[in-house]
Amino acid sequence: MSSNWKLDGFVDSVSRRDFLVRTAGVAALVMAPRVVRADAAEPYRLGLLLSATGAGANYSEGGIKAVTNAVAEINSRGGFLGKHPVELHFRDTQSKPDTAAREARDVITRDKVSAVIGTWSSAEALAVEEIINEHKVLHFAANSNSSRLTHENFSPWFFQYSPDTRMESGAIAVVLAEMAKKNNWKTFVSIGQDYEWARAQQAGFLEAFSKLVPEVKLIKEFWFKIGETSFGPYISAMMAMKPDFCFGAIAGKDNVTFIEQAKPAGLFRRTVYPGGLLSLTELQQLKDTLPRGMIGVARAPFYALLDEPIMRKYLKMYQAAYGADAYPSDWACMHYDAVYGLEQAITKAGSIDNEAVRKALTGATIDTCRGKATFRSCNNQLGIPSYVGTVADVPEYKFPILDPKTITKVPAEKTWLPSCEEVQAIQKKRA
Amino acid sequence: MIFDSDFLIAQLVTGVARAMMLFLLSAGLSLIFGVMNVLNFAHATFLLLGGYIIYSIYAFIGPGLPFFLVAVAAGCLVMAALGFILERVLISRMYDRELPEQLLLTFSLVLIIGDVIRLIWGVSDRSVSFNIEPLEMLGTFINPYQFVVIGLGLAVALGLWAFLKFTRYGRIVRAAVYSREMVSALGIRIRLIYAGVFALGLGLAALAAGAFLPTAPMALGVDIDLIIQSFAVVVIGGFGSILGTFVASLIVGIVYAFSILIWPNGALAVVFLIVVGILIWRPWGLFGSELRT
Repeated sequence: MSSNWKLDGFVDSVSRRDFLVRTAGVAALVMAPRVVRADAAEPYRLGLLLSATGAGANYSEGGIKAVTNAVAEINSRGGFLGKHPVELHFRDTQSKPDTAAREARDVITRDKVSAVIGTWSSAEALAVEEIINEHKVLHFAANSNSSRLTHENFSPWFFQYSPDTRMESGAIAVVLAEMAKKNNWKTFVSIGQDYEWARAQQAGFLEAFSKLVPEVKLIKEFWFKIGETSFGPYISAMMAMKPDFCFGAIAGKDNVTFIEQAKPAGLFRRTVYPGGLLSLTELQQLKDTLPRGMIGVARAPFYALLDEPIMRKYLKMYQAAYGADAYPSDWACMHYDAVYGLEQAITKAGSIDNEAVRKALTGATIDTCRGKATFRSCNNQLGIPSYVGTVADVPEYKFPILDPKTITKVPAEKTWLPSCEEVQAIQKKRA
Repeated sequence: MIFDSDFLIAQLVTGVARAMMLFLLSAGLSLIFGVMNVLNFAHATFLLLGGYIIYSIYAFIGPGLPFFLVAVAAGCLVMAALGFILERVLISRMYDRELPEQLLLTFSLVLIIGDVIRLIWGVSDRSVSFNIEPLEMLGTFINPYQFVVIGLGLAVALGLWAFLKFTRYGRIVRAAVYSREMVSALGIRIRLIYAGVFALGLGLAALAAGAFLPTAPMALGVDIDLIIQSFAVVVIGGFGSILGTFVASLIVGIVYAFSILIWPNGALAVVFLIVVGILIWRPWGLFGSELRT
């Protein structure tokens, strides 16, 4: 069983109606150059580690679409440098760290990939980061974003395309601190999935928030296992604490389920729930449920980035593949950036040699859906902003968005560790 | 920390609602084991399949609550029919096998049904939303759908009790729990009884899926989490005892809800400590028959 079969199998299963048919065509394009270009140079083998199943499947769908589309487009030009067709090897990590580690090792040793893109969760990414470091394989994260990936567990082969948890929760803290001062808030509770990302997100928020408004106290923390289906007891317990607001560190399907259950339980009437992750996935899946005016954070909202030429180009490509009513999720945009970031590095290096590509990408400024951005040379964190805004309906879309009129773009420089010396001090602790 | 009584009542309501959801999920599992001595590890996967079927029917005939109820009823019938066929074709061959072999077979069904769901419905979640508004009562807010779940759980418990106690078919089912040979000797077609019970079990799983759909999406992988909770309930209540399943569901639901209020990080541990205690001191469960062990 080849891993390419796995890609076809997944694509078949995802797209019974729209996605399957359209992406199957795209997948055929991905494979085509290997057949038609008998004179092509060595192929570039690229692993894709995302969740076709489990708690991260709803986010991963966008990433899988983006990478498949981007690879097909690059292959239509002959591949990287016009002569290295890209072979895509997809593996379903099932949203589980042990599966992610097993599949990463397998795709590296068996399929000899030069780079992997993934994973959904930070717990998976931390497991994979050890393996790529051992095998000197490039790793591009465009979803999982624990700050440990770029700090305590940093590998020079790892590149981060999302704002990390310190940056993202720091951005939320900046906005919430203003609200806390304005509304004279005194107490809050937090709720999150009991795993790496949510713990890092909450810790990052607490650190930043307590510096800005030390008088506002966390009175209770609620942690639930990934895949929880019944939030009723958590929601009523949160309301019983009578907090001024609730901080949420919830992602993936659990975020959708939580908000679906919190609304009829009255959480949003009893207290304020700002700061949750509101990517396009949540905005579309919860279009009827999301309270308008709710404050949330996004990583790559296409609707706020239409001034960026790369975003406009990607939107056009996306709609050509999936229809005029289709829009790329935050996850799709970041994965698109990961593939084209790799292409820009290969072009700069003039070679697909892994060491040369890594050096070319380290500290590089690249064009992305979110504008020009530079990798911080000390930890390979892309310097991109986080977007905090309020949910609002607009006539252009059939789903709510974070209101472009009020959206706050919090730059990386405002939320990441101020100096590379501080970053390296944390990295050395691991060493 | 001292809590207001109104919040404690709200927590109790959520605990009882969770309990009734667990009962709906576990009743079929317990019934099938009690009568047929088959440990159906795939029970929650059948719930998942039922949920996808209900969703598809509703997507075809909906929207609107009456159509959803029709879809749930149709889904229960489809799953019951599937249960009848599966028992005749597959499960009936496993009665004389050891428990590990039964578990292997039903675990295989978990994988097969999971792949069937993936092939037919893909990997996207399926959910049904009715945009329910919170109910303001007792100085706080309560999700009114919880009362629907509680009512449904009580109705199923009463219905099963009445069916097993007062109907001829129910009496035969109860007799089959103790001696399938004697029931056969009386000229009753035990094979049909077994197929009927398996069909009823899967119909109950579909009903649980119908109750589940408006609160949480149907998604691949949910079944594994649910079956673990379901096993915890039937271990505490006693495999094969509907009353035990009902009481155990209440214990698990309420203990879990109040553990979250008091000690959120240890809520799940508290539930499984009860399971461990039961396994050590009363392995046949609170209401199970000692003979079964």
